[in-house]
Amino acid sequence: MSNFVNGLLRFRRGPWEMLATIIIALGVFMLMQPFVIWAFTYSFITTLVGTVMFIIVSHFPEDD
Amino acid sequence: MSDKTVDRVAAATPAPVARKIKGLSDRAIAWIFVAPTIFLLLAINIFPLIWTIRLSFTNYKANRINREPEFIGLRNYERILTDSDIWLNMQATAHFLFWTIFFQVLIGFTLAWLINKKFKGNDLWTTIIVLPMMLSPAVVGNFWKFLYQPQIGLFNYIVGFFTGKDPSSFEMLGSVNLAPWSIVIVDTWMWTPFVMLICLAGLRSIPDYIYEAAEIDRASKIRQFFTITIPMVLPFLMLAVLFRGIENFKMFDLVVQLTGGGPGSTTELTSINLKREAFEKWRTGYASAYAIILFVTVFGLASIYVKALNKVKER
Amino acid sequence: MSSFSVTEPTNRTKWFAGTLVIAYALITMIPLVWIGLTGFKSPADAISYPPKYVIGSDSEAGFQPTLEGYVNLFTTRTRQTQDYLDANPPENWADEIVRQYDMVIVGPSKFGERFMNSVIIGFGSTFLSVFLGTLAAYAFSRFKIPLADDLLFFILSTRMMPPIAVAIPIFLMYRQLGLSDTHLGMILLYTAVNISLAVWLLKSFIDGIPTEYEEAALIDGYTRFQAFYKVVLPQAATGIASTAIFCLIFAWNEYAFAVLLTTANAQTAPPFIPTIIGIGGLDWPAIAAGVTLFLLPVMIFTILLRKHLLRGITFGAVRK
Repeated sequence: MSNFVNGLLRFRRGPWEMLATIIIALGVFMLMQPFVIWAFTYSFITTLVGTVMFIIVSHFPEDD
Repeated sequence: MSDKTVDRVAAATPAPVARKIKGLSDRAIAWIFVAPTIFLLLAINIFPLIWTIRLSFTNYKANRINREPEFIGLRNYERILTDSDIWLNMQATAHFLFWTIFFQVLIGFTLAWLINKKFKGNDLWTTIIVLPMMLSPAVVGNFWKFLYQPQIGLFNYIVGFFTGKDPSSFEMLGSVNLAPWSIVIVDTWMWTPFVMLICLAGLRSIPDYIYEAAEIDRASKIRQFFTITIPMVLPFLMLAVLFRGIENFKMFDLVVQLTGGGPGSTTELTSINLKREAFEKWRTGYASAYAIILFVTVFGLASIYVKALNKVKER
Repeated sequence: MSSFSVTEPTNRTKWFAGTLVIAYALITMIPLVWIGLTGFKSPADAISYPPKYVIGSDSEAGFQPTLEGYVNLFTTRTRQTQDYLDANPPENWADEIVRQYDMVIVGPSKFGERFMNSVIIGFGSTFLSVFLGTLAAYAFSRFKIPLADDLLFFILSTRMMPPIAVAIPIFLMYRQLGLSDTHLGMILLYTAVNISLAVWLLKSFIDGIPTEYEEAALIDGYTRFQAFYKVVLPQAATGIASTAIFCLIFAWNEYAFAVLLTTANAQTAPPFIPTIIGIGGLDWPAIAAGVTLFLLPVMIFTILLRKHLLRGITFGAVRK
C-alpha cells in the first residue's frame, strides 16, 4: 500500500494506471447498475475522467 | 539469397528509379507505409467521430436537411442521463453481459481443460466446436428465431421432450420473462468457443516443468489445479472476459434479428435503442450524444483491455 | 507413449475428456444440421409438429426431400389461372415444382444479386485492408515510429467502436459524397474496420520473422523496398493469408452497416435473407436454403484452414 502511494506521489505509471482502471470500472458499473439513478446520471463523467486520465498517465515513466 | 537474384533485380530496375528508391531513408519509407492506413482511419473513423461530438451539442434532425440545427449545449446529455427508460436499457444490457460472460467462461474453460487432455482427434472436434463463432451473427439470429417458434420450433420440442412440458405452452421470444434468456442462450452457443480458444492458449502456455515440480512436492492434482492451473490461466481468462464484454456491450446484429428488442423493451440493448433514436426517430443530435456515451465507455474498457494484454505479453 | 511423464493424462482421463467434448460438439451442431435439413423440406414439412427429421422415409418422423426451398430462393413466382397452366406445360424441373401451387416462375429473385454483392464487397475490402495492413504492420514492426504505441492503440480502438454509433456520421457523410448504397462506399467502410485487425495480426507475424535475413539482403545491396517484397513478404505469406481469411469472414458476416447504409444496389446477403417472404408468412425452407448457402463457404473455409484460423483467433486476442 505504501508502495502504491509512493508511486502516485512520484508520478509512476503503474499505480496511476491502476487508479485510472478503477475509476473506469466504477464508471461502467455505475452506468449499468440497477440500484440508484443518480449513479447512472454521473456514470458518464466518471468514465470520461477515468479514460482521459488513463491516456495521460500511460505516458508517465515506468517503475524503476 | 544468391547473387543471381541481386543481379537480376539490379538489371531489371531502371537506373533513375533505383537511385530514387535507394535515396529514400528508412524514416521516409516508414511514413509512406503507415500513411495510407492512418489517412483511411482519419477519414472513416476520426473525422466522423469529431462530427458526432459536434452534432451531440445540437438538435439536428437528419431527415430535415433544410432546418438549421441549433446549438443546445449539454442538454442532450442531460436528457439521456436522467432518462429512466435508457437506464432500463442499460440494465437489460447488463443482464445480457453478466450472464453471457458467466456461462461462456464456465463452459469455455471446462471445454478447454478437457481438450487440453490431448485425447485422440481433439483438433478436429475443436474445429467443429468453433464453427458457430465464424458465422454471421445476423443470420444466426435469424435461424434461431425459427428454432424458437413456439408451435413448430425445434428448441421448444427438445425442451418439451426432456421436461414433459407442452412445447406450445411457452414462448422463448414472446414472453417478457424468457426473452432476455433466449438471447443469452444464443450468444452462449455462438461465443463459448471463443473463450474456449483463449483458455486453451493459456493452458498450453503453462510449461510442463511446473507440474513436474509440483508432482515431486507431492501436491495433489486438485491442489495443482487451484495453485498452478487457475492462476496461470487467469490473465488469459481476463482478456477473454474483457473482449466479450466489449463485444456484447455493443451487441446489435444477433439480437435485432432474434427479438428486435421486444417484447416491450425487455431485450432492447443499448445499440438497438440507439438505432431507433438515430434511424427511426431521426433525432440525430440526441443519438449523437448517446453514441458518444457508448464510445467513451467502450474506449475506457479498451484501455483496460490493452493493459491486460500487456500483462499477458510479459509472460 | 514410451516414456513415463507426469503431465501426460492417463488413458481413462483422455477417454472421459474426449466423450464430454464430443458430446458438446454434437449438441452444438444440432441447430446447424437442422437448418441444413429444413432447406430441403416442403413448407408444410418445415413447420410440422412433431418435427420431421428422417430423410426420405414415409414414417411420421420422415419427410421427402425437395428442392422447393432452393427454387423459391432463386426465383420470383406468380399465381396463374388453371387455363393458363393447362395451355403452358412446365418448361423445366424447377417450374414443375412450382406448379403444384398453381404458380409459374416469372424471373430470378434478388438473392443471386445480393450474394454477388457480398462476394464483391468481401473480396474488395479484404484485398485493400490486407494490402494497406501489410505495409503499416511492416513499418510498425521494423522502424522506430514516434508515438508508435499510441498509434497502435488508436488503430485497435477504432475496431472496438460500436458500429451503430459510427454509422450516424458515416450515413451523413456518405449522403454528402454520394457514396450511400454503393460498392465503393461499403468496401472503404469495411476496409477501415478490418484494417485494425490486419495491422495487429500482421505485426505479430512480421515480428516473428528474424531481422537477420533482411539485414543480409541490405548488405547485399538490396534497397529497403526490395528487402521488403523479396525477403519479408514471402516469409509472411502464411500470416498474410490467414489475416485475409479473417478480414473476408468479417466482411462476409457484417450486418449493422449493411442494413443501415445500403438499400438496393449494394445490399449484401445478411440483411436480405430475413426478408424472404413466401405464401402466408415467412418461407422458412427458402430462408433455410439461403442461410445454408450463405454459411457453407465459411464453414468449409474454417474446416480446411483450421490450423491457421485457430492460431489467428488466439493471436488476435492475446498477442500484441
